[in-house]
Amino acid sequence: MGSEHHGPTAAVAARVRHVEALLEQRGLVDATELDQALEAFLTSASPANGARLVARAWVDPDFRSRLLANANAALPELGLSMGGGLQEQRLKVVDNTEHTHNVIVCTLCSCYPLSLLGPSPTWYKSESYRSRVVRTPREVLKEFGLVLDPAVEVTVWDSSAESRYMVLPRRPDGTDGLGEEQLAALVTRNGLIGVAAV
Amino acid sequence: MSRIHDVGGMQGFGPVEQEADEPPFHADWEAHVFAINRALIGRGVYNLDEFRDAIERMPPQEYLASSYYEKWLHAVTTLLVEKGVLSAREVADG
Amino acid sequence: MGEAFGPGDLVRTSHEDPQHHTRVPRYARGAVGTVVEAHGDYPLPDDRSRGLPAEPQPVYTVRFAARDLFGEGDHAVTVDVWQHHLRRVDHSEQESDG
Repeated sequence: MGSEHHGPTAAVAARVRHVEALLEQRGLVDATELDQALEAFLTSASPANGARLVARAWVDPDFRSRLLANANAALPELGLSMGGGLQEQRLKVVDNTEHTHNVIVCTLCSCYPLSLLGPSPTWYKSESYRSRVVRTPREVLKEFGLVLDPAVEVTVWDSSAESRYMVLPRRPDGTDGLGEEQLAALVTRNGLIGVAAV
Repeated sequence: MSRIHDVGGMQGFGPVEQEADEPPFHADWEAHVFAINRALIGRGVYNLDEFRDAIERMPPQEYLASSYYEKWLHAVTTLLVEKGVLSAREVADG
Repeated sequence: MGEAFGPGDLVRTSHEDPQHHTRVPRYARGAVGTVVEAHGDYPLPDDRSRGLPAEPQPVYTVRFAARDLFGEGDHAVTVDVWQHHLRRVDHSEQESDG
């Protein structure tokens, strides 16, 4: 279990087209509207957004403090927001330190900070990840190639309500000479979820 | 009653399968299901909590055998019928 | 709806295993944890999913020791729980849990 069973995809695709056609007849969806909504979602929501927040926090300690204290208020400083979806969500940014490592999950479904990370990977939504990371996080992180020092404390944040979580990874060593854009390029989506160091 | 979606801490699911350079949607129909659901919630046909509830009410075996957007499609069609927007017959005649 | 809590408060999540939609994960039912923070008022999903009226109420991030949830593990798990599903824990009640 845990793997994706796509089944007879042609049948599913036909079913979706059929339902969409019925809804169009009822005036509940509009094909052009759907395309525009998808386009907006796919272009505006991206892990580049989360990466920019991280890079700014790395170079600007005051911004870092503001981001950790009230992320929703800090986002507009970089022209970002948690809106653009069904409703504006509360964002909580949790920082990794020398002694602590954070990882995000939604055990009940798939809640995810879409506007800052873009569409979520299938593994994040899988029963395997959702069931295991709350119980044996180090084991799961190892599968992603991240081995934590035993002295590091791990906190798993289960997004069971309206808050969405993003990890602020530690700034890698040897990056003192890099500018903000270059720093942002170091940050991966997996680092923002907490299954990678950065 | 404990529902199948509530998998935190459940054992036996195996390694986390990762797909390199995964696209946001694996097929057009997935993107359409995503957009249709957004539109219907935006129009107040149902709310997000009802949507999640509809996924959770899937029979366990069907839930585990379904891909992520297959679960969404199940919830959307279930709610459209339950809310009287479409008839079960119309949805089935696809 | 229950009482209001503050950071550091000891709370226990509901044991309830309802027939309807709820957002308390099974693994955290009846568990004792520490409130991290309150993070806004939202309508209870248990009611919203059933078309019942739902006034916004506080939601809390609660931190649990993995050992208390699963009997093993050296990590912590936080869960966001609606006030409706939390009760204050006395020191005495906590000690009796061993």
